[in-house]
Amino acid sequence: MSEAVTPEPFGVGLPLDTQVSRPRAGSVLLEVDGEIDTLTAARLQAGLDEALDVARSEGSGVVVDLSGVTFLASSGLAVLIGGARRVAGFGARLRLVAASRAVTRPLQVTGADALFDTFDDVASALAAAALDVAPPPGVAPPSGEVGR
Amino acid sequence: MSDAETLDGMSTVEVRTSATAALIPTIRAVASDLAARADFDLDAISDLRMAVDEACATLVDAAEPTSVLQCRFLVRPERIRVHAEVEAAKADTVLSTDTFGWRVLQTLADEVEVLHEAATEGRRATVGIRLDKSAGDVPR
Repeated sequence: MSEAVTPEPFGVGLPLDTQVSRPRAGSVLLEVDGEIDTLTAARLQAGLDEALDVARSEGSGVVVDLSGVTFLASSGLAVLIGGARRVAGFGARLRLVAASRAVTRPLQVTGADALFDTFDDVASALAAAALDVAPPPGVAPPSGEVGR
Repeated sequence: MSDAETLDGMSTVEVRTSATAALIPTIRAVASDLAARADFDLDAISDLRMAVDEACATLVDAAEPTSVLQCRFLVRPERIRVHAEVEAAKADTVLSTDTFGWRVLQTLADEVEVLHEAATEGRRATVGIRLDKSAGDVPR
């Protein structure tokens, strides 16, 4: 006899999808789609942690693409601010792609926008992130570079 | 809420849900819809939606598990007043206002106020939030 599963009708809130990829060498992209509120902020946190772990181990720049985000509550802002602090810890800036009012307005009204570099589209954010790339420890600088 | 607030001839909308975070998206969608149809500017619509989300999330955290979340929208010319309320988890439950979320709420709303009502016979203690939002930025 199989046990019937009765899922909560609205169990985990509205969908929030996150995906980490490396669209080009030296940059890690976290794409986020959906509504970020108290229920879904944990999923943003998990995606951001994954992206930052990759970025840190590879010495890459990070871009968080919020183009698909249709709501951003303080719980989501807190996750992004925590990410900005962590990235600042390894000497970089967190880059956000924020085109819609649902994202730009919360950033602006709380003053959190000062903590991020914000871009209108993914391509320009990735181009900026690629400039972060530092040679991994122990690797010699490219030839032609003036040594000490 | 006084009779004066409900009977003043302005449009009033009340939404009652279980006090669970899973239903807050429904409430904030109502807030957004009302603001849009009351000709709020786009920033004010966004702010009200976020403020209502913030207020409801704060209340759900403080609510008795089987409580109802009651959210009243009083739509007036150029502004909307929101009154949200839950039954408190404990008789002495106090809303914490030293959180990041509360500071955001204060930034988003024109005015925001915490309301505590002690238990009376046959009625549990309640905690509530009242907030006001005007249709557009007040010229400075």
